[in-house]
Amino acid sequence: MTKAFQTSAGIMLAPAVTLIGIFVLLPMLLTIWLSFQDWSTQTPFSEASFVGLGNFREIFGPTSIGRDFKAALLNTAIYTGLSVILILPLSIAFGLMVYQRDVAGGTALRTVLFSTYMVPMIAVALVWSKLYSPSEGPLNQMLGLIGIGPQPWLSSPRSALVSIVFLNVWQQVGYFTVLAIAGLTQIPGSLYEAATLDGANRREQFRYITLPLMRRTLLFSAVIAIINAVQVFEPVALITQGGPVGSTNVLTYHIRRVGIERAQGGLGSAMAVMLMLSLIVVVCALFAFVNRKDSE
Amino acid sequence: MSSATRSLSRKRPSGRKALLATLMLLVAVASAFPLAWMVLSSLKTPAESMQVPPVWIPRTPTFEAYEKVSGVINVGRSMWNSLVIASITTAGILVTSLMAGYAFAKYHFAGRSLLFSVLIATMFLPPIVTLIPLYRMVGSIGLTASLAGIIVPNLANAFGIFLMRQFIAGVPDDLIDAARMDGASELLILFKIVAPSVAPAIAALALFAFVYHWNSYLWPLTVLQGNADSYPIVISLSRLLSYNRGAVNTGLVMAGATLAVLPPLVLFVFLQRFFVDSIVGSAIKG
Repeated sequence: MTKAFQTSAGIMLAPAVTLIGIFVLLPMLLTIWLSFQDWSTQTPFSEASFVGLGNFREIFGPTSIGRDFKAALLNTAIYTGLSVILILPLSIAFGLMVYQRDVAGGTALRTVLFSTYMVPMIAVALVWSKLYSPSEGPLNQMLGLIGIGPQPWLSSPRSALVSIVFLNVWQQVGYFTVLAIAGLTQIPGSLYEAATLDGANRREQFRYITLPLMRRTLLFSAVIAIINAVQVFEPVALITQGGPVGSTNVLTYHIRRVGIERAQGGLGSAMAVMLMLSLIVVVCALFAFVNRKDSE
Repeated sequence: MSSATRSLSRKRPSGRKALLATLMLLVAVASAFPLAWMVLSSLKTPAESMQVPPVWIPRTPTFEAYEKVSGVINVGRSMWNSLVIASITTAGILVTSLMAGYAFAKYHFAGRSLLFSVLIATMFLPPIVTLIPLYRMVGSIGLTASLAGIIVPNLANAFGIFLMRQFIAGVPDDLIDAARMDGASELLILFKIVAPSVAPAIAALALFAFVYHWNSYLWPLTVLQGNADSYPIVISLSRLLSYNRGAVNTGLVMAGATLAVLPPLVLFVFLQRFFVDSIVGSAIKG
């Protein structure tokens, strides 16, 4: 490596590294620093005063600040868990439908599924709020046709969060289907040929060839699905405002409300740090789980 | 698909094929239904959209709602703002990603893998984690309430660098070395030789970035703080609902939503090949 190329490397990297450094890495470090400070978002960073673990004690404490945060953390965990549990199996099922060649129309199905991923979440939220409308919405009308009574959907604390999971799954599953197809194309056809010669039926082939060889794809999908799910914001901000009775108060919405709208920057940052830590723990656990399975 | 699996498939009973075809149709219908409902509802009369039980197909389709929507929000201005935000952000991402991707793919320098890992890690950082200090930072350099405040923090991202590195790594070194012999500068080599040979990946990244930033809501909402002149269409759309809460004209909201959905959806329909390829590429190579 000559000196000239060291300079070139510096020039090539400068724009991206500077921008990401200033607008991603620096704010991330500031969030961590602010989580130990008492600081109002309306004031300069220099106004912050050190409070040690005070913010963390408060967000896990018995006051309303603590109760709201812990509820938001739990809501986000439920929302994320349900999203992943629905998206992964559906993405494999839909991926197999697109990939198979017995029935024509796979590519068209992929187009339809993936197109929803292009739709702005704000439009998704608006449209689904009308679909869910208890009296004027088509969903309860269709349920009525098959003899199921009207559901409260977004208007009941018992069903609001799940209703938002459904619209999230509807929007995202096409993207994960494409990931699943990418995984399926990586499985050598010769494995299925050999299994067929050995007399394995389709179910056995799926169980012993497809699923194990899709493990890496599923891990990747799970990580992306988790990162996407904790970002849910539009349906909550637009339709439910965290309600009814706090049942859809998820972290992205809650952190923004505390840290920006109420300008409690220190508390909001402590919540953001907890979100980051939870993500790191969950993602590491997933990797450890899959690696252990691999070595078995 | 190999010939063996094909011949296998011929042995499948036709009953199972019919079942599979039915399932596929059901999935497609369920997936397309919400958007179809959106478009149909935007064509209803106000009376029709309030009917219980709901009417599916408007009896006398009307563009009334589309005309009215412009009276509530500034559609032209909002669409223009979205176009400006998405285009400039995309252009910035393309340039910064190409340059950094080239450096990571073709240069050896101290700390390369460490720097790359740090950058890639930011890909997994949800935006809310940096939102509070970023809001303050952008405010203190006087960019709040402006399009620049939305655009500038997003001019580079890790996904773009990752994607470009993956594809530029596949460009033969001989090609680059030959150009160097001819005395071409590194920037010239990047934009005249390397970039054209990874054109499909560039197209994919451009489309991804454009759609992502057309649809983006959290950051513009936080930065703009009520400056209606700078609203992108997605924010104007959310204002439509709060206006609508009293007036209850679903058609209006659906017309607005249809307008906002149209540009990313049209781009996708014409260029989906690139979208799909780049997702597949980033998943397999990653």
